[in-house]
Amino acid sequence: MSIAELEGQLVGPTVPTGGLWHEAWRRLRRDRGAIVGFIFVCCFVLAAVLAPIIAPYGPLDQDLALITKGCCPGPSSAHWFGVDQLGRDELSRILWGARYSLIIGVVSVTVGLSIGVTLGSIAGYFGGAVDNIIMRLMDIMLAIPGLLLAIGIVAVLGPGLFQIMIAVGVTSIPIFARLIRGSILSQREADFVLAARSVGVPRRSILGSHILPNSISPVIVQGTLSLATAIIDVAGLAFLGLGDPDPSRPEWGAMLTNTNEYLQSAPFLAIIPGIAIVISALGFNLIGDALREALDPKLRGRA
Amino acid sequence: MLRFIVRRLLLLVPILIGLSILIFFWIHALPGGPAQALLGERATPEAVAQIRHDLGLDKPIYEQYWAYVRTTAEGNLGVSISSRRPVTTEIRERFPATVELTIAAMIFALSLGIPLGFYAAKRHGSAFDHASLVGSLIGISIPIFFLAIILKYIFAVRLGWLPSIGRQSVLINAEHPTGFYVLDGIVTGNWNAAWDAVQHLILPAIALGSIPLAIIARITRASALDVQNEDYVRTARAKGMSPGIVDRRHVMRNALLPVVTIIGLQFGLLLGGAVLTETVFAIPGMGSWLAQAIFNRDYPVIQGGVLFLAIVFVMVNLIVDLSYGFLNPRIRVS
Repeated sequence: MSIAELEGQLVGPTVPTGGLWHEAWRRLRRDRGAIVGFIFVCCFVLAAVLAPIIAPYGPLDQDLALITKGCCPGPSSAHWFGVDQLGRDELSRILWGARYSLIIGVVSVTVGLSIGVTLGSIAGYFGGAVDNIIMRLMDIMLAIPGLLLAIGIVAVLGPGLFQIMIAVGVTSIPIFARLIRGSILSQREADFVLAARSVGVPRRSILGSHILPNSISPVIVQGTLSLATAIIDVAGLAFLGLGDPDPSRPEWGAMLTNTNEYLQSAPFLAIIPGIAIVISALGFNLIGDALREALDPKLRGRA
Repeated sequence: MLRFIVRRLLLLVPILIGLSILIFFWIHALPGGPAQALLGERATPEAVAQIRHDLGLDKPIYEQYWAYVRTTAEGNLGVSISSRRPVTTEIRERFPATVELTIAAMIFALSLGIPLGFYAAKRHGSAFDHASLVGSLIGISIPIFFLAIILKYIFAVRLGWLPSIGRQSVLINAEHPTGFYVLDGIVTGNWNAAWDAVQHLILPAIALGSIPLAIIARITRASALDVQNEDYVRTARAKGMSPGIVDRRHVMRNALLPVVTIIGLQFGLLLGGAVLTETVFAIPGMGSWLAQAIFNRDYPVIQGGVLFLAIVFVMVNLIVDLSYGFLNPRIRVS
């Protein structure tokens, strides 16, 4: 490292920064991983939104004539991804299935994030006994393996898509709570918070307008990564038989699981939904990962 | 050090009490009791009442909780409702299977992840480095059970290289003094049995170890990158120490500290992931057993099993924290 470079680091940002978010966006646009992730996620979201328009068949349309010669005809010009064991077009089901995965991901992360952030901020800001009680509760939740906890919650709430989303969301509460609490603890004694307190800003608005905005970037990163985990976990629950009670619904995890017995004759029926899950999860993971780097204050100001 | 251990052990007490209460009330919130699950279609109100009475479920809830705490403290976790065997006996049989699988997965993840991460850090910015980053992201994006199904299909069904289900071939005649099949084979000198058990472990361990592998490789890479630029590393290089020794003594030792923490965290995830892996490969371990118990409303199994796993998990984290102190003298003082 040359002396000029060293000096550059000591002096601070070498590039003018236009605020954390502006700069993060600038860095994201240069990150190849982020771009690939963005493309994957766009495909996923477009498939979900446009499924009724672009899907060549309905998700439940059956053509039994196609499977009279055994299960199951592979990819052809009429059915790009082949036909499943009930004579339904696999491509159409994958496209429709994107809707479920998207909703599942968004709802469960919203549940986990909002409850987790609320609990974590309360614990971090008030400290003392409140902090102790909340964080011990989080410890207890973390002591149960995540998937078992989710299975348990589905068992209590009963089967159903909504219940599954809640279960998967709840398992991520402690992660968000810990993250935001740690972040707030490090902010609580910061100079700008002290300054705000000394001029008499009320507690609630210190938390809301000074501390939280400065603590939120790790939560956004974690939220993006959790979208991937949620999609994967829901598929796992479906695999264990705790999925959607309606087997006709084109949910990816259920599609993968229900075709398990045709693995010999038609492996593509398991592989295609599997790849769909991997691509959507990978998309969110790539974006989350790039966001983490783009928002990292330690890397700020470097071109 | 001793004070630290005692303090940490004392902190466990409220967690375990909270956990036992949580599990107890959660189980009683489950719709449909074990009586319905046992009797199924044949459930008449009288038969259900009889079973509830036999199991003590008609007593007041606080009495049930107290009875549960008392027997648990004695080390008695009750009798499984569906198999009618003591829960502790079942745990003794099944826990080794899960531990064996978890350890195998961890060995796979560590033996591949640490060198990969370290090499990627040494070649920072190279094609290998980029490939390792992308590869690790793909690794955490593949659902375990999907990978397990694919591995089973390719290597067991199609190629026939490895067994597809269970822990041991039917033809193998082996004794099991410890319950860890690989260890059993070695202890009894039955090398065939040990090798057979290892073969049964390979595919499940790869499937289960894929996520920790990705995470360990990333953490190792990131922390090796950090350490590489530390002053003491530069000093060591500057004074002419051979690169191999610098890597081993200065970079490796410090870079592995965060990896130790990750091992503890991953252990819990592995126990959860074991549910899926055990199901795909029909391994009679804790995970698939507990999932089944929840379906069957097998109260004693759920209570005992989840409590047991939670204790194990908390203990592993404690051990990880302690070993952290051993590895890093700097935090021992504070």
